[in-house]
Amino acid sequence: MSGNRPKLAGITTVYRKYSHTQHIIDRYLEGYGWNGTHHHPEMDLIALYVDQVGQDDLSRDRAARFPAMKIYPTIAEALTCGTGKLAVDGVVVVGEHGDYPKTPKGQVQYPRYRFFEEIVAVFRSSGRSVPMFNDKHLSWNWEWAKKMYDTSKEMGFAYMAGSSLAVTWRIPSVEFPSGAQVREALCICYGGVDSYDFHGLETLQCMVERRKGGETGVKWLQAYRGDKFWEACRANVWPRELMNAALCRSHTLTPARAGFNDIFPSLDDMQRLAKNPVAYRYEHADGLKCTMMLMDGLVRDFNFAAQLQGEPKPFSTQMYLPMPDGRTTMANFFSPLSYNMEKMFLTGKPTYPIERTLLTTGLTAAGVDSLYSGQTRVETPHLAIRYQAPAQSTFWRT
Amino acid sequence: MADNLHHKPNGSHMTFNQITRRTFLASAAALPALAQAPPKKIAIISTIFRLQSHAQHIGDRFIVGYPFAGEWHQPNTQVISLYVDQKPAGDLSEARAKEFGFKVYSTVAEAVCCGGPKLAVDAVLIIGEHGEYPRNEKGQILYPRFEFFQQVAKVFESSGRSVPVYNDKHLSYSFEKAKTMRDTARRLKFPMLAGSSLPVTWRLPDLELPLGCQIEDALMVGAGGSDAMDFHALEALQCMMERRKGGERGVKSVQLIQGDAVWQAGEQGRWSKELLRSALSRSDNLKGATVTDGRTQDMVGTGVLPGLVKDPWAYFIEYRDGTKATMLMLSDAVNDFNIAVKLKGKPEIQATQFFLSPDPNVTYSACLASKIERMIETGVAPYPVERTLLVSGMLESCLDSRVKGNTRIETPHLEVAYQAPRESQYCRI
Repeated sequence: MSGNRPKLAGITTVYRKYSHTQHIIDRYLEGYGWNGTHHHPEMDLIALYVDQVGQDDLSRDRAARFPAMKIYPTIAEALTCGTGKLAVDGVVVVGEHGDYPKTPKGQVQYPRYRFFEEIVAVFRSSGRSVPMFNDKHLSWNWEWAKKMYDTSKEMGFAYMAGSSLAVTWRIPSVEFPSGAQVREALCICYGGVDSYDFHGLETLQCMVERRKGGETGVKWLQAYRGDKFWEACRANVWPRELMNAALCRSHTLTPARAGFNDIFPSLDDMQRLAKNPVAYRYEHADGLKCTMMLMDGLVRDFNFAAQLQGEPKPFSTQMYLPMPDGRTTMANFFSPLSYNMEKMFLTGKPTYPIERTLLTTGLTAAGVDSLYSGQTRVETPHLAIRYQAPAQSTFWRT
Repeated sequence: MADNLHHKPNGSHMTFNQITRRTFLASAAALPALAQAPPKKIAIISTIFRLQSHAQHIGDRFIVGYPFAGEWHQPNTQVISLYVDQKPAGDLSEARAKEFGFKVYSTVAEAVCCGGPKLAVDAVLIIGEHGEYPRNEKGQILYPRFEFFQQVAKVFESSGRSVPVYNDKHLSYSFEKAKTMRDTARRLKFPMLAGSSLPVTWRLPDLELPLGCQIEDALMVGAGGSDAMDFHALEALQCMMERRKGGERGVKSVQLIQGDAVWQAGEQGRWSKELLRSALSRSDNLKGATVTDGRTQDMVGTGVLPGLVKDPWAYFIEYRDGTKATMLMLSDAVNDFNIAVKLKGKPEIQATQFFLSPDPNVTYSACLASKIERMIETGVAPYPVERTLLVSGMLESCLDSRVKGNTRIETPHLEVAYQAPRESQYCRI
């Protein structure tokens, strides 16, 4: 190991097969397919903290096979490698999966905030901060998320977060035109509230943030579920044309009729197939309206569509998640996520702004709040988050 | 309007006006000049028509439309006749015919003549995949594509008129028969398109080899070990190789080796481990330890392959211009199709995955349907049938090599020359 190679600590909830920790930390240990070869990150993950160690734990196996990585019983010890002082050059926080209680609103209380607080306590006591990556949203709790963001700014360390959706393959491989004017955008995906809704929101946000004027924040959000979803759909609260375009990007459209393998569903078909759909509809400060739709039973992928000014038909693509188990054996969408983290650890600069994930974190919480409060409109003055998209595209295309 | 994009769910077939209106609405952006022409009449000649058979998932694209370029595209076509050679349990032919207003005929000739005395369709789709057919000593399934084709061509001759023909997958298990088919298409002057979805599906990443490139070495890795699957992989390999400098001039020799000899050949440098590592780096479906605990793997670097893959096959293709290519079928190690190519003057290896999207939608067959549709609309095959002719022969000769003790076989008959299409043909929209 070269002395110049950054040393990393992994701070995680659980390390079992197909957990986010396994997908991300394994890529540091085993390497991964990247740019047409098997890529080994030019850094060493030397310390690991695992919050819950169950019967299916893999962290002990990994530590045995990669003796350079030591497991520590506390976050502080992992960051200091037992020396009492920060001993790593970067921190990878993966607080997804594991057995954690739910809030009354149904949010899983993953301890990302607690992890963050314990990490920055070490930064403070050591008088030194290092770059940090946080997998998925910052916290289920907006106040905590905002504090995490503010702390990272106050202390001045590079901070990245978010979902693989923003960086994975697109089919087709297209980028949202920089500076485009857009009135409506939509994502149709699947999964649960306070879970895949976040992925759907990041799918939308990584595209629309490139619009003319940059990101201006979100004014309000309204959630729709079940019958209210279908009422809104039939009342064209969101553009049907964009729904159709997004569905035509899906590779997992449930056949609406027996005997057919791929057939476009009518609205009645959709209503029959997607039993309890959820939509979050929200308006950005500059007037852009977005709709994130979870349509379990209809699709099992992430599809984006937007109406760009001056274009006769919708702009659309699929953010491709080669998802195990069944469709693939490897969740390779974690490869571009790992690669973007690596770039930050090597350069000290995030490849895309944390404000994106701060906003999508707030939108996720606002969606949960709207659902919990009877699908009412939620004003979101706290989401007046402005930022510019990165000049360079960061999704996977090489 | 959006609800008009689907067929009527109550079982009644679409009227001509509905088709025309839908066609116009759905394809106005894609094919503006052609959308208002009367629909092209299609006959489907198939082995079986049941759910997920090739005849069903390709044929239905021309009946209920397909997703293309972000919209549900309804081709300006009308399937008016169907022939099915076998009706196994789950047969859908009669139900489809009843719903969409066409007829299932009892012979190929009747189907292309719609029961009349002469050719009565504007295009023919021969989809001879799936069904119960015997195998020969080489392990090839004797699908009757040649026999179907001959009956179609006979009607063309007797009618004094020919129409475009699509033949799904390889032309025939026999190169001799395949060549007769191609020669017949030339003699009767009808456009013919054939082959697999792999050359036209999306690629991860979106990689095309520059036309006229100099290929130093190429390696395809996939899962197979049957003439059905190995055809797909060989054709994907060929659609890249044909872009090399000088164009395609045919194949000089082939050899198929199996078992430990495959690893020995790797040790001896007969195939490139570096290219295999690169091709495997594109896979989303590694097996072995990945299946056990999810880990990523450098299978070449760790040396795990010989212990993992019980029955490896290596296909060696030596082209007449001296270029060489290898196809490794490593079914216990990988479950998708990936290629790596070393180009002269480029230090980095070019590698990509030919993306096979999941069941049941198999959207890759929509990519293929769009190529068939283009031929039907324009009368010009978007890529040469010689590609499929050559691959049909390569596969047969590789299987000959296998039954002849895995020996190298000279293939003077595979002097099949053609130029790759200038325009890339795989899906990028």
